[in-house]
Amino acid sequence: MIYRVTHNTGYKYSLPASLSQNELFLFPRNTPSQEVIESRLIIDPQPQYLHSRTDYFGNTAHVFMVQHPHDALAISVTSLVKTSKPVVPAPCNTMPWEKVVQRLISPAGPLDLDAQQFVFSSPLVSYDSDFVNYVRPSFSSDTPVLVGAADLVQRIFREFAYDKLASNVETTVKQVLSNRKGVCQDFALVAISCLRSLGLAARYVSGYLETFPPPGKPKLVGSDASHAWISVYIPDFGWVDLDPTNNLIANETYITVAWGRDYGDVSPVKGVVMGGGLHVLSVMVDVSAQKEQ
Amino acid sequence: MTDNVLSSAIPSLEKTPTIFDSIACPQGAYCEAFASPGVPRFQWQSLLENLGQRGAATLVLDYERASRMRHEDGATINPFGDLTEQKTSWALDMIPFPISSKEWDGIEVAVIQRACLMERILADTYGPQTLLKNGKIDSRLIFANPNFLHGCHGISPPGNRFLTFYAVDIYRSADGQFKVLRDHGANPAGLGYALENRIVMSRLYSSLYHKTQIRRLAPFFQLFHRSLIQRSSLRKDNPGIVFFTPGPDNPIYFEHALLSRYLGYPLVEGQDLTVRNGKVFLKKLAGLEPVEAIFRQVGDHDSDPFALRRATSLGVAGLIQACREQNVDIVNPIGSGFIETAALQNFLPALCRELLGTELLLGNHPTWWGGQAEGLHYILANLNQLRISLAMTGEAQIDPSVDLYAAIKASPAQYLASSPVAPGVTPSWNGKGVSASNTILRVFACATEQGFSVMPGGLAIAAENTAALLEDNPERQKSKDIWVLSDEPVEMFSMMSGLTAIPTFKRSGDLPNRVADNLLWLGRYLERAEGLIRLLRAVFKRLSGEASPEEVSDLQFLLNILQSKNIIPKSADGAEAFSLEVLQHLKNALYRRDRAESIFSILNRVQQTAHNVRDRLSLDSIHVINRMENFRENTPLEPLEMLDQTLFTLSAFSGLAMESMTRGIGWSFLDMGRRIERALNQTVLIRIGLPLACNDSHNTLQALLEVSDSLMTYRARYRSAYQLAPVLDLLLADEGNPKSLVFQFNQLAGHVEHLPHQEERRFASREERIALEMQTELRLLDLSTIHCGEDISEITSLVEFLTLTEARLKEFAQQVSAHYLTRVPSTPHYAMINTSPSL
Repeated sequence: MIYRVTHNTGYKYSLPASLSQNELFLFPRNTPSQEVIESRLIIDPQPQYLHSRTDYFGNTAHVFMVQHPHDALAISVTSLVKTSKPVVPAPCNTMPWEKVVQRLISPAGPLDLDAQQFVFSSPLVSYDSDFVNYVRPSFSSDTPVLVGAADLVQRIFREFAYDKLASNVETTVKQVLSNRKGVCQDFALVAISCLRSLGLAARYVSGYLETFPPPGKPKLVGSDASHAWISVYIPDFGWVDLDPTNNLIANETYITVAWGRDYGDVSPVKGVVMGGGLHVLSVMVDVSAQKEQ
Repeated sequence: MTDNVLSSAIPSLEKTPTIFDSIACPQGAYCEAFASPGVPRFQWQSLLENLGQRGAATLVLDYERASRMRHEDGATINPFGDLTEQKTSWALDMIPFPISSKEWDGIEVAVIQRACLMERILADTYGPQTLLKNGKIDSRLIFANPNFLHGCHGISPPGNRFLTFYAVDIYRSADGQFKVLRDHGANPAGLGYALENRIVMSRLYSSLYHKTQIRRLAPFFQLFHRSLIQRSSLRKDNPGIVFFTPGPDNPIYFEHALLSRYLGYPLVEGQDLTVRNGKVFLKKLAGLEPVEAIFRQVGDHDSDPFALRRATSLGVAGLIQACREQNVDIVNPIGSGFIETAALQNFLPALCRELLGTELLLGNHPTWWGGQAEGLHYILANLNQLRISLAMTGEAQIDPSVDLYAAIKASPAQYLASSPVAPGVTPSWNGKGVSASNTILRVFACATEQGFSVMPGGLAIAAENTAALLEDNPERQKSKDIWVLSDEPVEMFSMMSGLTAIPTFKRSGDLPNRVADNLLWLGRYLERAEGLIRLLRAVFKRLSGEASPEEVSDLQFLLNILQSKNIIPKSADGAEAFSLEVLQHLKNALYRRDRAESIFSILNRVQQTAHNVRDRLSLDSIHVINRMENFRENTPLEPLEMLDQTLFTLSAFSGLAMESMTRGIGWSFLDMGRRIERALNQTVLIRIGLPLACNDSHNTLQALLEVSDSLMTYRARYRSAYQLAPVLDLLLADEGNPKSLVFQFNQLAGHVEHLPHQEERRFASREERIALEMQTELRLLDLSTIHCGEDISEITSLVEFLTLTEARLKEFAQQVSAHYLTRVPSTPHYAMINTSPSL
């Protein structure tokens, strides 16, 4: 599929903001099942400073600064991305999870070593016995790793309530686990914490998902949103993406932007602003399938 | 006594018992000062002889002198605290730690090697990570280590120098060998205390100091500075270097202030700096000044709240981006705290062979890491003999409720164990006599063009027991000057020549906005306190007389003023009589902590703002401010005495400020604060008092003069009964009365004219125009015919004029703040990811 993804972020300030610094993770990256054709960034007002780099995890990051007083800030990224169906191994044929843990303890090659960094706790992912207790039923001994991961994702999907009001940027993953509600990034962080508590490697993926309108209704432009899911490492194969919010193994309707240890490594827009008073944030995302040319 | 031992050990030295005889070196610890009981080691001989001859009584006096010198230099944690309960960081132990030149040469070579090794490790960790990929560094030391900052990966610092200032703690084990206890990378502490100790010691024992050939410290600081200049390719006449401190609340803020002064780098806090266009600037009154290099004493994680997502106010948002763009040289580069990783030590011998091709010269104190099979095995087998700490941060694992055995078994890689440390024992002065202390040495090195250079000296850290020594708590430790003895005559360097030889940073008299802001508010709070005290004092004076409150005719007038100003609540209608309730309200106005405008609260704010700019105030002024602590309710003092005493204290501060502060911009802001507040106070007082005075007997005019501190002036000038016109003239329009309104306006107009301006001036600034307006209109005011009577039009128009003046004054204060003191709060914002399930 070819998708045109538009992601608009807007801030309106009650008082003029004198200085605004922002870091963006909004340009999709190339993956085995995804090719980025183009990405464009438009910022209004025009920033005095803009810098882009490839970060430690291979994502594209932009840093920009608006250094004169402004009442509003608009960040718009449009990308054209070609996706294909990811190759996914048959879950029951994947390596038993205990063996995966062993491989991550003693890496057999650069891929294992690279995956190892996603085994440990990170600023927003910490785990204790509560996570081990929650994840255990999905991983009885010798369970193939992808079977276990898919089961965990399904349980989170069933047992956790989607609730936009239940969490904010301050909510810890432990609170989400005990409250059993949150949004996609909370579910992703719970799943990651569970998998890492066993010694498995799991990373946080930020991106988009094509959504479909209810039958018979037209799709509304801008009704989409940015999304988050997880990726699990399977030695001798690679990474497989799973979506706890929708109980799915990622398919060609998923568009990957960036990955990291947790949300903090890849938050789409983060910033600090001098002045500005209270701000109102608006986010508009549109994912639309293009006709193949 | 040990006389027998003494004489049999060294028959040549017929000595009387000295104060050092009582020093006993425990088994298993190296005795630094004595080769055997009573036999001093060579490098200690002349020192012990000299101190021994001085005798205990003199040393007690020396100790007091040393403490005083250090106190006068401000080497205490909080000069605003109670002097008797003050905690001191690294209190000076005036018995130095001498070390022979031969032994020092060995330390020097080994520390340079270690610094080089650490720098190579940092360069690899934040660069290609070859050591990680080849398995030379355990991957967990990077992936599971909070000291590794992902956001700093890929940054190459100026000159490709990843470590430019390094410190290492070493101790001497029982066999006489030095071993490393820990390394300091991000922001090594103690350099300033080493400098201060040397300054005090060279003054205290000047003859001994000059007789003994002791290597000087000043050349090291000059080298530090020259290397920094060279690396950052700074223009030598005008280098933009700042000293970056977390601020006065830091336990070793003294050291920051001292180093800043000594090196000539302005002392700045996070809010003084800003990042624009990927470059760092210092916010000053006249505008932004570029900063090319930063000597940083703010920890890695607190350095950049934007990039590191920390809710900290200590850092500078965007600092890491400026590093990424290679626009600033930070000593040390952010992320260099990686070398402090406790478990890294175990890998150093192999890494030294790998990276430098040599053997590690300075061995480590024995440690075992649970992340390695043999380490874990050893730890679990010897748990009760080992000291357990966290493997990455090195923090001691002290939670006694944790079952250590189980915790280590569950996550072994998180723990590091070390064998008990028995550092060398030195004689130490405890204030009354000599006792034995365990002592470690902190040695400093800085990057030079050729590699590294070690400071010939350093900070010897001593404590009565090993536990206190291993803590990271300067309050529980003492420090000694390290005397590196030289075989050759030492180059004569004055300590202070360091100060002048180094070019100073743009001494234009311009100052950071934050400092100006605090000085302005200090002035305002001081004056606010004074004004309120005068008013309340006038009330309590009348209450303490023999007459009953009802008989004091102007008491009600003063109470009305207090009520109109909302200092005390309004009494119920018609309740004219003075009641106990009113007395309680008055006391509340003095002492209530929960009321923003009580004298107690205002004095608190005086102390707080003074604290924020304490490096700008003389020690005497700080002592005066300390005395405001005495203002509290439960003392034997009557309110009137308390108010009198506090008024003296405030006057003492004003006097000191007048006499001892240079008339620079800082003083202008302090004085502007006072003038604004005094003018406001006076305006409000007359506006409220004037109609009241007209409805009352003439006695009230005296009270009005009294609270305006103009009674004596009036008597001297008019020698007549109190009449409205001359009283108002004196309080409002008399240019010669320092308490008059016009006097304040004249001063304000003078100040704003001389403040720095960001652009070429073509027009007067808004605040200049307001000042001029207020000044002119007041001068044009005709007060000659004003009187109380049937026709109140003149009174009414004066009240209107004062209301307008009050508004203008507030506008003036706001303009000054907006122009110079942008106190803008910054807020983080994040976009939430928020997708609903699509199925």
